[in-house]
Amino acid sequence: MASLLHVRVVSPERIVFEGEASAIVAPAWDGKVGILPGHAPMLSLIGSGELTLDRSGGGSEDFHVVGGVLKVERDMVTLLTEYAGDGPPTEASDPEVMMVDRID
Amino acid sequence: MAGDADVKRRIKSVENTRQITRTMELVATSKLKKASDRVQAARPYADALQEIVGGLYSPALSEKYPILRRPKEVSRAAVVLLTANRGLCGGFNSNLIKQARNLMEDLRAQGIETELHIAGKKGVAYFRFRGEEITTEKADVGDSPTVDDAEAIIAPVRERFENGQVDAVYLVSSKFKSAMSTPPHTRDLLPISGDENASPADVYILSPSGDMILEQILPVYIRNAVYTALVENAAAEQGARRSAMKSATDNAGDVLEHLTRTYNRARQAQITQEIAEIVGGSAALE
Repeated sequence: MASLLHVRVVSPERIVFEGEASAIVAPAWDGKVGILPGHAPMLSLIGSGELTLDRSGGGSEDFHVVGGVLKVERDMVTLLTEYAGDGPPTEASDPEVMMVDRID
Repeated sequence: MAGDADVKRRIKSVENTRQITRTMELVATSKLKKASDRVQAARPYADALQEIVGGLYSPALSEKYPILRRPKEVSRAAVVLLTANRGLCGGFNSNLIKQARNLMEDLRAQGIETELHIAGKKGVAYFRFRGEEITTEKADVGDSPTVDDAEAIIAPVRERFENGQVDAVYLVSSKFKSAMSTPPHTRDLLPISGDENASPADVYILSPSGDMILEQILPVYIRNAVYTALVENAAAEQGARRSAMKSATDNAGDVLEHLTRTYNRARQAQITQEIAEIVGGSAALE
């Protein structure tokens, strides 16, 4: 199957990632969930952990996400999360840190 | 001439004022750019959240979750007002305050008690001066509001709604239509007015369940409404300040032109008079 997933990772402040992926593994509330193209429509709560996107050209992208909800519909994957970054939030509740994060 | 020195001093002072207002205009312009970028960046999340909540919501759920309760009668309403911390932005703050006051008067006219929750020094200062009771206040929201700011503002209000201390929550803030147009705006935050139509969520695999997703996501939804309003308000404030400072700069220019003309005329008159005196003096000698 040649089709790809169109993935958007969105935090309240911005779109963290938008692009194509051949597969994704997301940290659902009860464990990891893998999504391939052609997945049935789904809404799922997200816990915190690593989100892995396999790029179509090989290689992958990792994000650390904290909480939120994942929606899959017709190969469109939208992940709404409280936080998304390269690593776990240093101190997610600390506005100073979040502000610095936003400026970058 | 005494008038001369006076006018000269005033010209200097207006020049200084113009320098300051122009600088403030430039600062506001650069902040406005960043703030409106933030407004744009916050939209995808808000839209997607709206879609998900809209899909899961059904009026039948209101029995189950306090946050979804739909009071039959409203006896007490909370007004959440967002203002700026600083002035010098034209009618921005006073428009917001007026909007909140009108809303409160309307509610009281219907026999509904009101309480105030304010973010922003200007709103707090005004209502404190008027002797209104302020239930919660927050005055440390900066130029780039965070999600945590929004949570800090709305958490106590949400709790009061869930406990039944208030039956409705209104949010008063500025809409950021464009840098020039930032009208005050009232939004009904709670009770949640969902789509009464059938939920399209049936076709989804729901994990763990529609109810549980909703339970997690609703507080986020409310908070995000406040976050979006904060971000828009911050951008609107900069827009209003830029316009105010631009017209102040223009006005200073007009005043300056007038003063310079007065000064030149006085100077010219003096010179003319001196020449006349010299000519008159030499004519008398002949």
